[in-house]
Amino acid sequence: MAREVNWERNHDPVGIWNGRGKAALVARGHSPTDRRWDGESLDKSLGAFMMIAVQNALDDAGITIDDVDGIIGSAGGQGNGQPLSDVWGPRPYFDAPYDSEDGLTHVTGQWLRQQMGFKNLRYINNHGDPVWNLIGQASQAIADGRAEVVVVTYPNGNLPGRYHQDPSNQARGPAVWPNTWGWGLSGQGFTFNQYCQKYGTNHDRMAPFVVQERKNGLLWEHSYYAQHEPGEFTEEDYLNGRMIARDLSIFDCDRPVLAAAAYVMVSADRAKDMKQKPVYILDHTESQFSPRSLVQTIDDTEEWTDIQAQRSYNGSGLKPEDIDIFAPYDGFAVFTQYYIEAFGWRGVKRGEAHDFYAGDISLKGPNPLNSGGGNMGTGRMRTVFITDPLEQLQGRAGDRQVTTKAEVAVTHGVLPITAGTVVMSTSPD
Amino acid sequence: MAILLSFDIDGTLELGDPPGGVTTEMVRKARDVGFIIGSCSDKPLSVQRKIWEDMELTPAFVSAKHQLGKVRRENPADAYYHMGDRDTDYMAAKDNNFGFWWAHEAAEQPWLEFDMNNHEQIPITT
Ligand SMILES: [Mg+2]
Repeated sequence: MAREVNWERNHDPVGIWNGRGKAALVARGHSPTDRRWDGESLDKSLGAFMMIAVQNALDDAGITIDDVDGIIGSAGGQGNGQPLSDVWGPRPYFDAPYDSEDGLTHVTGQWLRQQMGFKNLRYINNHGDPVWNLIGQASQAIADGRAEVVVVTYPNGNLPGRYHQDPSNQARGPAVWPNTWGWGLSGQGFTFNQYCQKYGTNHDRMAPFVVQERKNGLLWEHSYYAQHEPGEFTEEDYLNGRMIARDLSIFDCDRPVLAAAAYVMVSADRAKDMKQKPVYILDHTESQFSPRSLVQTIDDTEEWTDIQAQRSYNGSGLKPEDIDIFAPYDGFAVFTQYYIEAFGWRGVKRGEAHDFYAGDISLKGPNPLNSGGGNMGTGRMRTVFITDPLEQLQGRAGDRQVTTKAEVAVTHGVLPITAGTVVMSTSPD
Repeated sequence: MAILLSFDIDGTLELGDPPGGVTTEMVRKARDVGFIIGSCSDKPLSVQRKIWEDMELTPAFVSAKHQLGKVRRENPADAYYHMGDRDTDYMAAKDNNFGFWWAHEAAEQPWLEFDMNNHEQIPITT
């Protein structure tokens, strides 16, 4: 089926979205969260987990497979639907339906249609990007009338529980600069080091943020830590983390896990029939940049994230003070301050994020940043960035429910260099 | 004489994730024979302490993997060994002049062969 192109809202000025309030996020479903796959248990494969998540999402919405007319996903969870980690081949495959990579290291809509028996699909797209972009893409597809009841699928596979282990002992081309120091990590540490120098701060000042995220994550039942390592993560833990690049500690990196999530998104009309309160999509915007030199700098980062934030405000018509729930990505924890400062959430300006962390960012306080715990608190699933804002706005976040107003949420990720922003509201207007 | 054994956790101890071949019984026996035991891992210190609690053993130290040198400074001994399943374990041992066993070698309890009255640390040869 179709490969969607040019659906993104990334040409400034984007203006208020003409699909505003026409699509709603209503339900979520999650699989168990495992650290890795044992290579044997097909009931714990990524495909099996994806089916569990889809069924849970349908049950949560109070609908059946026959109600669904669209599947929009990222088969492998990364850009262009690619998987992040190793593939299974050339090891021998299993009996159908596990006789190819589909179902093991990525999960397409076609595979799900066959296994789960979807009969009324009129739109399938597996080429999506990270989960923010998928919610944006599904919102656009619904607003454009391509489908009315869409299941958004986000499988996060990780067979060995680790990734980007480059066995090569050679680095070629532009990779000669960063790869001799390990995948991507030295670059993120470098940018953060520039941030620290520019604003007179330091890595230790990240501690209150990461500790709070871990605390919040323990209250999310799908978190890897809630399920497998439920003890308290302390400031002492953070400050003793091994540096894996300058100014980037092992506890600034999200833990690879294997899990799947699904969301039900519907047209505003259909939203009225759903079991859960609809959360309307007010806007989606996307962005993609290129560094000015071989390595991303703090200047690049601040320029890009400023554009991302202004594009989102332009698309939604909101101001910083309108955002109740703010969920900026933390796949490396050192990303998050760039986003907070760009969006100016709670009045935080450039260079002030670490002061903000030192204040009250507790879950029940006035500034409940990443109330779901982010990737630091849940593992590398990214889906808490959709599920938590959804549940906060629906008023069903349980122990994680914030005590501040929860009517408008903004969630933003994945990287400063390429991101999607989704604006959600309890009201379609 | 005092010989210190530093255990990595994930991929080394049976309570690690993934589990390794060094069982809690092997660690307990090492303690009973008189070795100074503790852990040195990338796991948070609080999680390491919890694992020792689960093993019902009291470690002489818990340490982050890059702090093996501090373990040496704070725990006087005649010989020092670390064991683990990753290159980072090997490097930490080498940098801090510890003897080293890969996790699968450690599961054979090579320390039980030592003469506790007359022992020279076996240098890293891997
Ligand atoms: Mg290990």
